[in-house]
Amino acid sequence: MTKRFGWIAIAAFGLAALAPASGAQDAGKEILKIALPKPMFVGTPKNIRTPNLETITGKPRGPFMVPVGTALLSLGKPVASSDKEPVIGETAFVTDGKKSGEDGYYVELGPMLQWVQVDVGKSHELQAIVAWHYHSQARVYRDVVVQVSDDKDFISGVTTVFNNDHDNTAGLGAGRDKEYIETFDGKLFDPKGVKARYVRLYSGGNTSNDMNHYVEVEVYGLSAK
Amino acid sequence: MTKKAFRGLFLCAIVGALLFRFVRLDVRPMHHDEANQAVKFGDLLERGEYRFDPLDHHGPTLYYLTLPAARAAGERALAGLGEATLRAVPALFGAGLLLLFLLFSGGLAKEATLAAAALAAVSPALTYYSRFYIQETLLVFFLAALLGSGWRYAKRRSLGWALVAGVSAGLMAATKETSLILFAGLAAAFGLLSLVESLRTRHRGVVTAGEAWVWRDTRTKLPTLFHFALFLGAAVATVALFYTSFFQNPHGLADSVRAIGASFARAGHPGVHAHPWNYYFQILAYSRTAGGPVWSEAFLLFLAAAGGIAALGHDAGRDGSPRFLRFILFFTVVTAAAYSLIPYKTPWNMLPFYLGLVILAGNGAALLLRISRFKLVKILVLAVLVPGFADLALQSYRASFERPADPANPYVYAQTSPDFLRLVEAVERTAAAAPEKKDLLIKVVAPPEETWPLPWYLRTFGRVGYWTSPGAALAFTGAGEPAVVIASAAFAEEVGAALGEGYDQAFYGLRPEVPLCLFTKRGP
Repeated sequence: MTKRFGWIAIAAFGLAALAPASGAQDAGKEILKIALPKPMFVGTPKNIRTPNLETITGKPRGPFMVPVGTALLSLGKPVASSDKEPVIGETAFVTDGKKSGEDGYYVELGPMLQWVQVDVGKSHELQAIVAWHYHSQARVYRDVVVQVSDDKDFISGVTTVFNNDHDNTAGLGAGRDKEYIETFDGKLFDPKGVKARYVRLYSGGNTSNDMNHYVEVEVYGLSAK
Repeated sequence: MTKKAFRGLFLCAIVGALLFRFVRLDVRPMHHDEANQAVKFGDLLERGEYRFDPLDHHGPTLYYLTLPAARAAGERALAGLGEATLRAVPALFGAGLLLLFLLFSGGLAKEATLAAAALAAVSPALTYYSRFYIQETLLVFFLAALLGSGWRYAKRRSLGWALVAGVSAGLMAATKETSLILFAGLAAAFGLLSLVESLRTRHRGVVTAGEAWVWRDTRTKLPTLFHFALFLGAAVATVALFYTSFFQNPHGLADSVRAIGASFARAGHPGVHAHPWNYYFQILAYSRTAGGPVWSEAFLLFLAAAGGIAALGHDAGRDGSPRFLRFILFFTVVTAAAYSLIPYKTPWNMLPFYLGLVILAGNGAALLLRISRFKLVKILVLAVLVPGFADLALQSYRASFERPADPANPYVYAQTSPDFLRLVEAVERTAAAAPEKKDLLIKVVAPPEETWPLPWYLRTFGRVGYWTSPGAALAFTGAGEPAVVIASAAFAEEVGAALGEGYDQAFYGLRPEVPLCLFTKRGP
């Protein structure tokens, strides 16, 4: 025991002796200062007030393969929401099959984390979930989490299909999926055939304001036998 | 109206103007243009450097007049400056504008002066842009100074007022090269006034007395050649002083002439700022987006129309002058037409003719109050006017304090989104956690129109580089691996792929439709 302490003491003294020596080695050096490019001055940028349907980035989504017999399950199905009194529109807009980006086609939920939940009636093998938050303007919705479950309260048997909440703001666990810019072709989430009756989509505001919007959510799956 | 009442009410207007202009000046994120001006001012503050750029940035007065404000705040470097210090400069000129209305005495009746001052104090347009670090409010202030000193000169023909008018004109030219439109408007108004009065003289037998034109009890005089030369000399000297950076940059004066050409070229090729002829009046008359409140300065437009029509008659109030009012009317109509016909439009460009509307509206309000001698009618008129003024004040509050960055606000134009401040906070958090602190390497990869106001918000960081293409930014490896990369949405995919999996990615709104992608390096 005493011998071990002795070695530790020697090592500590050695490190202490080395520390100033390292400093002495750096004494004749300095950080290389590299001039970085300065910003370019430019006049007033474009003012945007009117909606448009143009995409900013990305290519058109390629074909997404699903098993034969896959059908749209969500059309006209009941929708629940964390915001019982939406600011604009009704939760029924989420599954009414109308995907226009104009005013009058979306439901606006309040600020902070909110969710909408689609009940497709029975447990199905889910093949695709497509969501249009708000596509008349290029914006990004934060903390998008898509979960499916047979439990309407999402307490048990919850499968997370998509999660881009990288810092766990929503408290549903940190996700590694990327944020994305809303476009008119919607965002497709792949549930990989997991069986569920309820689909819940979370979001926590967007890059244009703190509100949460849904134009449409479509849930595709194989009909339950 | 008694002198005491006038003084008391005018003081109330000044206090109102000061409150609307100075409270919570940092409530709105810095606009692209404000950040441009601020960084440009930083060079002047830190190194005493200013060179007029004939292609952009307008005139030098804003920068030089910000120097006293920065020094009063005890700042010697851009990093220490805050938005409130910078915006205090136009705010001061915006509130000072009201005092210049006192120069119109004898031209504008007391009641009209008071009404105009009250309208200016609560005007949503004047208030919003007085809190905006750009040249417009200064231009309007110097224009009012020229109108006021010109009027004083016309009344007294004194050398002092000729000099003040010359300096005011020089300051206008040194503020914005587009002041040329205003000088042309003033000349046209003078021509129209002369024409109208010569016709009236013939028809109505109004006589001239010596060199003076006589109109009731109002005598105004044309300038002597010597005074006119003094006026021009003062204007040219002022212009030369500012554009040559106080004789440090002799080319600045020639550049100021070149800038006029650049401005005309911009006016003819408006690009993304092309708007229909009725753009300005549409903003003022009525604006509403889905679910949002109604914005309208129709009350002011109505009063201005009443005041303008009244200016063509004989009644300018007991202490007003139809000649002065007609001059303002012609100037307002001519400049409003000129600005409306120019395809290049940004909402703050309407301010010079908006000043004319405010003066005429003041006359309109005074006219309504003296339309009848009956007290009951006066009370009824007041019952209409007071809610109108209150509504403008409420809209002002909403525009400048409640929704200063809301795209539904008609005075908002290409404004930075509040969401952008979250990006800045995220960068600050990353820096706080990094061993290099504020010396961490930040790469900005975005076209210039998607770069600002980043240079303002990143002014306290030691190592920030700006690239306009991902290729050049990613090829630059000399400074090490960046801890933070801010990329335009168009470059996000390419930049993300090049950075690899070691970075978190999040989008933030710079402006509506313009998201920026923030990459922050994950910790070990």
